[in-house]
Amino acid sequence: MTNVSSESAAGPRVPRTRLRPGAHAAALALVGAAWLAATAAGEGLGGANLVMLFLAPVLVSAVAFGLGPALLAATAAAITYNFFFIEPRLTFLIAQPGDLVTFFMFFAVALATGWLAGRERDQASAARRHAAAVGALLESSRALAAATTAEEVARVLAEHATAAGAGAVVVLAPGADGLRLKAGPEGLDRLAASAFEAAERAFATGETQTSEADAGGGWRFEALVGAAGRVGVVGIRHGGLDRQAPAGDLLPALIRQGAVALERARLSTAAADNQALRRADELRSALLNSISHDFRTPLSTVLGSATTLLEYGDELKPSIRRDLLDSIREEAQRLNRYVGDLLDMARLEAGALKPRKAWTDVREAAASALERLGERRAGRKVKVDFARDLSRVRLDRTLLEQAILNILENAAAYSPAGSRIELSAHEDAANVVVSIEDEGPGISREALADVFDKFRRLDRSTDRGEGLGLGLSIAKGFVEAMGGRIAATSPVAAGKGTRFVISLPKVVRSPKDLL
Amino acid sequence: MSAHRPRILVIDDEPQIHRFLTPALEAAGFEPIRADNAAAGLKELARRAPDAVVLDLGLPDMDGKEALARARSFYEGPVVILSARHREMEKIDALDLGADDYVEKPFGVGELLARLRAAMRRGPHLESPPAAVVAGDLEIDPGMRVVRRGGERVRLSPKEFELLARLVEAGGRVVTHRQLLTTVWGPAHEADVQYLRVFVGQLRQKLETDPARPRHIVTEAGVGYRFLAD
Repeated sequence: MTNVSSESAAGPRVPRTRLRPGAHAAALALVGAAWLAATAAGEGLGGANLVMLFLAPVLVSAVAFGLGPALLAATAAAITYNFFFIEPRLTFLIAQPGDLVTFFMFFAVALATGWLAGRERDQASAARRHAAAVGALLESSRALAAATTAEEVARVLAEHATAAGAGAVVVLAPGADGLRLKAGPEGLDRLAASAFEAAERAFATGETQTSEADAGGGWRFEALVGAAGRVGVVGIRHGGLDRQAPAGDLLPALIRQGAVALERARLSTAAADNQALRRADELRSALLNSISHDFRTPLSTVLGSATTLLEYGDELKPSIRRDLLDSIREEAQRLNRYVGDLLDMARLEAGALKPRKAWTDVREAAASALERLGERRAGRKVKVDFARDLSRVRLDRTLLEQAILNILENAAAYSPAGSRIELSAHEDAANVVVSIEDEGPGISREALADVFDKFRRLDRSTDRGEGLGLGLSIAKGFVEAMGGRIAATSPVAAGKGTRFVISLPKVVRSPKDLL
Repeated sequence: MSAHRPRILVIDDEPQIHRFLTPALEAAGFEPIRADNAAAGLKELARRAPDAVVLDLGLPDMDGKEALARARSFYEGPVVILSARHREMEKIDALDLGADDYVEKPFGVGELLARLRAAMRRGPHLESPPAAVVAGDLEIDPGMRVVRRGGERVRLSPKEFELLARLVEAGGRVVTHRQLLTTVWGPAHEADVQYLRVFVGQLRQKLETDPARPRHIVTEAGVGYRFLAD
């Protein structure tokens, strides 16, 4: 905290009474008015009333302008009263002892009332200013707390410092290659070289630095210091500070708040980066694990069957030779699907997926997915329930077909042979809805939450490769890439079964589409 | 021996593995016995007393090492394990638990059968002085402690000879680092793998035609060494 000057350490304070020429002139004018009134009233006015008349501007000045003008009014009133109304008139002499007493009493009373009322007034207005400063600070701290990125914090800090009367304010924070301007007055997108060097010095040393004045005036730079060190630099235009506004005292507190907020934003960005890295790392290890785990069995089968045929082909019965060839073909197809899954996933991860949308009959995509499921149905009955009339939807048919196929494969893999899978397509007011329901054991509430996660498989205790655990997360990625939604419900009936629902929004046809 | 086809128990949960291994073993003159999990495998092992066992370490119902330990409590015959390449520790543990050898998935049938035959050659009653071994231009006579290469006598230090004898004795099966270190240098040196690297290097210099590409003393990365006759 080396750069925090003694000024800023004090925080918001009651402002000192400042010389205000207008208020003092007004106080003198009031005394003048009292003199005019007294002169006009002439001798008819009693001595005591005259004194009261001259006390009036003192009290009014005290209440209206505060301590300084009140004391000035008291002095001026006493002098005027003496000069014009105490014998001998038009001199400062006082002839009668009684008049001497009256004069000093008047002066004392005027001073006392002026001092009391003026001080009261000054404190009240100081309290008001203080409340305004605290209010402004609270407002800034709320705005800073709501800012989540360094850019937002910098912008809020610059705006609030400017609103607090600091004139032009710039905020700089370190980027990958040194300090960068994060926020500043509109139209200012870079600092002059000399100003930038001053900012860098302030950041490097932690001490306040000023730059030479240029056309718009020079800058005063202060380091923004968080709990763990310097996090940026704030720059304020020389002479830009408006002393009438509370900024003079508000600004240091605002800068401290800004520093803390900037540090928090930077830490949370770092935390988010870390999390993203960790997730990427988890994905990588899941991927490696999956490859070693799930590719090994099909490869073993291909290699084992091929070498069996090579070494013992002549001794094997034709039916067995045929079976080994079948198994090589099946496992090669399985490997091909795995590779496809990994490529799909990589495309989704890279955000490289560009759906080619066209008006599509969802029933056709569902039917061809079912056809592609083929022998992987392995004895499961599929009941198809398609609406007779179904709106066409603008989507990428290939992606939809793959998504439905992945869900069908999942249903077949996790339901007992001989059970039923229901594939339906209907529509409501807003969506065409494809639903795939199985009679498997269902998914627990906890597992349902991350059923679309990558490499998620319900049963990991076995080496048996039913798939990579990518199918559902690819389905979700494809459906969402086309603007649709996908959801899973389980159990469906009697504590069993899982239902996946794909909702595809029916776009309102614009006249252009109808042409 | 003529009527008896050696029975091989295959314990693996993957039906595809049985699908090719069953006909391959039959064609190679064995009688395969199939078990789909560890429990069934242990039962078959007790009931059928096979001549050898092929055990997949990744079984759904029991940890592979646990299955091996239980098998070894009553079965002394050869056990060849199937394991993944990246699981060195699993292989070493299994070998130390009494497995005779291992094959990495994916594997060719020829490789598995060669390991299986090597393991079966190791009789449980091999106490008599080992016979001389001829491997290419090498002649190794453990009983006489004589090694010849191309007819010329090769001078080996006592440790080099013990190391070679231990590898030759295994008859083509892998010998783990720890097994070699404890038998040749003693239990205190069971972690000193660098000893082995030095001595194996010296042996290869003296015995191999091309020490950089050894044909007889073969490294099993992370696990141990294997002596191949050809």
